[in-house]
Amino acid sequence: MVDRFHSKALELPEPGQAFQRADLVFYGVDHSGPTFEARVFIGAKRGIDRSADVEHPAYAGSVFVFGHGRCHGEAGHCDVPAERDPFDWRLPHHLEPGTQILTVTDTVRQLVAAKKTKAAVDVFVHGPQGKARKCLAFSRLRLLTYA
Amino acid sequence: MSAAAPAVTAAPTALRHRRSARRLSKAQLADLRKAFTLAQGIGDDRGYQYWAGIHGLPLPISCKHSSPLFLPWHRAYLYFIEKALQDRVPGVTLPWWNWTRHDTGLPPAYARARVDGKRNPLASSPIQPAGRRDPKEKRTWRAPEDPRWLPSAAEVNGVLDRNPDYFTFQNQLESIHNGIHMWVGGTMGDPSVAAYDPIFWAHHCMIDRLWYLWQLRHPGATLPAPYLDLALPPFAMTVRQTLDVTRLGYDYAASTAAVPGTS
Repeated sequence: MVDRFHSKALELPEPGQAFQRADLVFYGVDHSGPTFEARVFIGAKRGIDRSADVEHPAYAGSVFVFGHGRCHGEAGHCDVPAERDPFDWRLPHHLEPGTQILTVTDTVRQLVAAKKTKAAVDVFVHGPQGKARKCLAFSRLRLLTYA
Repeated sequence: MSAAAPAVTAAPTALRHRRSARRLSKAQLADLRKAFTLAQGIGDDRGYQYWAGIHGLPLPISCKHSSPLFLPWHRAYLYFIEKALQDRVPGVTLPWWNWTRHDTGLPPAYARARVDGKRNPLASSPIQPAGRRDPKEKRTWRAPEDPRWLPSAAEVNGVLDRNPDYFTFQNQLESIHNGIHMWVGGTMGDPSVAAYDPIFWAHHCMIDRLWYLWQLRHPGATLPAPYLDLALPPFAMTVRQTLDVTRLGYDYAASTAAVPGTS
């Protein structure tokens, strides 16, 4: 779990490649911890820190995770099963990781217009009252554009 | 049944109107407070503690978050607690909290600690011993942030307009929903106890209303077929049965008026 994340650079659409929409998708998002806001910045200059807010020029949006909080069961209650029987008709485990989709069309358009070909993503985690929280974990980040 | 624009063929007098929490008349607000007070006073499975406990503690935690069933499950949940409240005060409906209005943050009807010298049943609620995450947390509490940090109407409209796909829409609406839980803070910030706070119902009514408005803007858009006949435990209701609010007996019309017909 981390309270900030800096990605490798993601390739941006080529300048002549028209798109109607761009989404940044976080896969495998853990929601077993407390509730938090993940502030997302794309193409920020080096040195950006957690004081960056929604007025920052690289701010692309926020995703909010309604965290499960601590386990209220006994040992193993909140352990997500590694495998699932294809004939198991029960609903998925309550802590099955989720997906977060952030639409970032304007931000990506601005970066492409500025002739950027790649951009890194920075994420800062904020709990209630802006407090830092080490509760961000996800498996993959993807930038998608749609013509 | 389809998830196209909800049918308007049902007699309008049979439908109940869920109103903005800011637009309740004195009598409507008094009825709502009476229904909450009476429900909070019942300790069995007709009472407030039972219904609030379904969302979180005591185990099992039944709410669906980060799940394809987020919106249908909570629509069923609202339906059943509204029925429980109507058993106490016939005709009462859950109001919705329009948190895109930033002038006061929490709706005044829910914010005042006391009304007419008594504890306001919309401001807080007891938490049953088996429902507490901390034995000392006997009542709900809030720590709201600055109203400027609430989502704007433009932001919400963007989510409604740009997402004809159900799952993308639900995903982005759920994120906004999560942000409101965090904004209210306190009990609302933790799904294991959030539903004990009376503002929970007004918040989720707003979420339910936004799903309804999305259905109007994207006729026919709905969950994929494999999901439609899934049950929504512990409620005796399937996803398909939640798709049309008029079948559940309510709507979110911006205004409503009726006159007698020819007979």
